[in-house]
Amino acid sequence: MEEIIWYIIAGLTLASALGVLIMKKPLYSAFCLVLHLFMIAALFALLDAHFLATAQIIVYAGAIMVLVVFVIMLLSLDGAEKKPSYFLGGLSLVAIFALFKMLLPALRDTFSVSGTNLQGDVKSIGLLLYTKYIYSFEVASILIMVAIVGAVILAKRTKKNVTT
Amino acid sequence: MLPLSHYIVLAAILFGVGALGVMVRRNTIVVFMCIEIMLNAVNLTFVTFSKLHGNLEGQIGVFFVMVVAAAEAAVGLAIIISVFRSILSVETTDSGELKL
Repeated sequence: MEEIIWYIIAGLTLASALGVLIMKKPLYSAFCLVLHLFMIAALFALLDAHFLATAQIIVYAGAIMVLVVFVIMLLSLDGAEKKPSYFLGGLSLVAIFALFKMLLPALRDTFSVSGTNLQGDVKSIGLLLYTKYIYSFEVASILIMVAIVGAVILAKRTKKNVTT
Repeated sequence: MLPLSHYIVLAAILFGVGALGVMVRRNTIVVFMCIEIMLNAVNLTFVTFSKLHGNLEGQIGVFFVMVVAAAEAAVGLAIIISVFRSILSVETTDSGELKL
């Protein structure tokens, strides 16, 4: 039963990731990405990382995707883009296939074990975050602060910026 | 309980898809979204190895990756808006001012 659910979720994850790639309009890519992020959250939940599954939905599928969709609407990018670079794409496709040819059998053989019964619930993650990793947590809050100020300064319309 | 190799192989394929998107697409916002796919693939391997070793610190790592991704989204989209204001385009090929 779990296997069937896993294959459905994995298939949807892969299909929506490919959807981001092949959709002509950026808005459709964004909608595919929302589905992709929800499916990643489902995979986290299958791995018993409950806190991260929730945070994934709130932070990624909520906050970041709202920002992305907002920018796409703001710039009104509804037209299709110019021709994608097929040369670079073919080259990297060959490189990726060659890498996977070597990598995937090794990965499959090495990690064919089932995991421990670790539960990533809010309590244990919060305990670790506020004791052992308290300094990293504070640095992360400073980083968010810097990012907010930086985003406001970059997106602000100055006199020098207005050329058209 | 499924073997954990399933998750790792899926994450590797997702990373490949994201890298391909960064190479192929020319719209800066789609390139940005493909970078998010790559970040999520790495997050998935983090959580899988955390499960494998019975150690929560991998999940702490994913938490910090999410924080950095949120900061990156804010600054990156501000840069895209700023570039769009000056050249009226978001295509990667149109912003070649510094190219020799």
